[in-house]
Amino acid sequence: MVSIRAENLTLTYRLRRRLSLARNTMPLPHGGRIEGTGRTQHVRALEGVSFALEAGDRLGLIGGNGAGKTTLLKTLYGIFEPTGGAVDVRGRTDALFNINLGFRREATGRRNIVLRGLINGWTDEQISARMDDIVAFSELGDFIDMPMKAYSQGMAARLAFSVATSLEPEILLMDEWIGAGDPEFQAKARKRMNEMAEKAGIIVLASHNHQLLRRICNKVLKLDHGKVEHFGPAEEYFAGEKEDQ
Amino acid sequence: MEAGSHETAHDMKFLYDALGDIGSALGKRRIWFALASEDISDQHRRTSLGPFWLLINYLVFVATFVFIMGRGEGIPNYTAYVALGLLVWFYIMETMNSGVGLFVREESFIKGTTLPLSLYVFRMTMQALMRAGYAALGCAVLLAVSGVDLSWSWLWSAAAIALIVFVTPAAIMIFAFLGAYFPDSQFIVQNLTRVGMFLTPVFWAHTSQTALSVRGIFYYWNPFTYFLEIVRVPILSGDAPLRSFALCIAISGAAWLLALFLLGRLRRQVVFML
Repeated sequence: MVSIRAENLTLTYRLRRRLSLARNTMPLPHGGRIEGTGRTQHVRALEGVSFALEAGDRLGLIGGNGAGKTTLLKTLYGIFEPTGGAVDVRGRTDALFNINLGFRREATGRRNIVLRGLINGWTDEQISARMDDIVAFSELGDFIDMPMKAYSQGMAARLAFSVATSLEPEILLMDEWIGAGDPEFQAKARKRMNEMAEKAGIIVLASHNHQLLRRICNKVLKLDHGKVEHFGPAEEYFAGEKEDQ
Repeated sequence: MEAGSHETAHDMKFLYDALGDIGSALGKRRIWFALASEDISDQHRRTSLGPFWLLINYLVFVATFVFIMGRGEGIPNYTAYVALGLLVWFYIMETMNSGVGLFVREESFIKGTTLPLSLYVFRMTMQALMRAGYAALGCAVLLAVSGVDLSWSWLWSAAAIALIVFVTPAAIMIFAFLGAYFPDSQFIVQNLTRVGMFLTPVFWAHTSQTALSVRGIFYYWNPFTYFLEIVRVPILSGDAPLRSFALCIAISGAAWLLALFLLGRLRRQVVFML
């Protein structure tokens, strides 16, 4: 049974002054609140975040820049470990954060599909089973056996999109809805995204596009400075939003 | 009593975490093997000799030392001495230099995937071994040409190489964390390895018995000396350098302990440092 449960989830990290001979080499905070002064500063990226999702839920994450949307997604995925509270994610989870990650310019499109597949944790059988579909969907034709540096930006984007959307996740985490290509491909891409979204048990989607969230999501979680400002049914939230306007 | 045992469990958690990370990376060996091969061919794509440039580079270095320094040193079979010395030294130097920038280079992967950190370390180990393989080809040819006799004591050298390979991931791990937490270390390490080539008996030998001469100090108080000697001595003189070997095993064990400690403790924090 797929489910996500977050209880009082808190993520604080220390802005360590890196030992360095140069001044001001502090890593940039990912967002959230900076607390403390002087040598020990903390970034409170998430604070007391609680929510629960069951199979069939589509959660829209909203909030301004630096509110903690991406941090929450990355914590659910396991890149960040919460410093407080508990998070329990059950189900095969895939994330679409940076779909261009790991593509190599010097390698052919086909080789890139294999590499990307390995990084995603696919077996050889899964890679070869999905290969034809990915190649066909990307519409790259003979270019698939050319090094990627010979691709136009649109072609590279189509390949990245085709690989990313051939996942079959039970839980899908997305930082913005993805699309690619010229208008014709965009229509195809939309259809493919909808298909993947329909198959997934749970979706968590961070976006600024409220129209999109309205169409896809049944629940909404609004973050503000790392805290939950609102969590509830999407219909209710967006209805309220309309009245405000 | 109970608090004490709880504390021990907490203290050992780093070991459990580190081993889990390494185990997971070993399970994903297809990934780092594939990425390492891509790395090697990327570095030499569009050249006609490809990775054989690594071999040529190595041979040019050995030849330079043999022709410039080869006289008056009193080292028997100087060609073989330098050939073996440079093979090991280049490997050590490369591992340190690229290790220190490893996590910084892999920033987007570390921030975008849940792959274990050890995976990047193994990928680099694999890459360093592949690159050293080309130099080893040249070394084998030079050994044959310089007239060294094949003997059973070569097994000691084989064991020495195995030990060096075994300690490589630990060394890369330590340097990678160093580079992530102390960005300036990249340049410090680069400088040290450059100078280290002259401070380590790669192409000179310490022939007198006094440990207090300038050369003696750099010979005896330099850990790299022993890693060079355990490979070189059995092939060149047929002796088993037991004391050097014991020392290298101790250093390797300590390096792995430190690497496991760092991995267990900092594995989850390094993402915030990049």
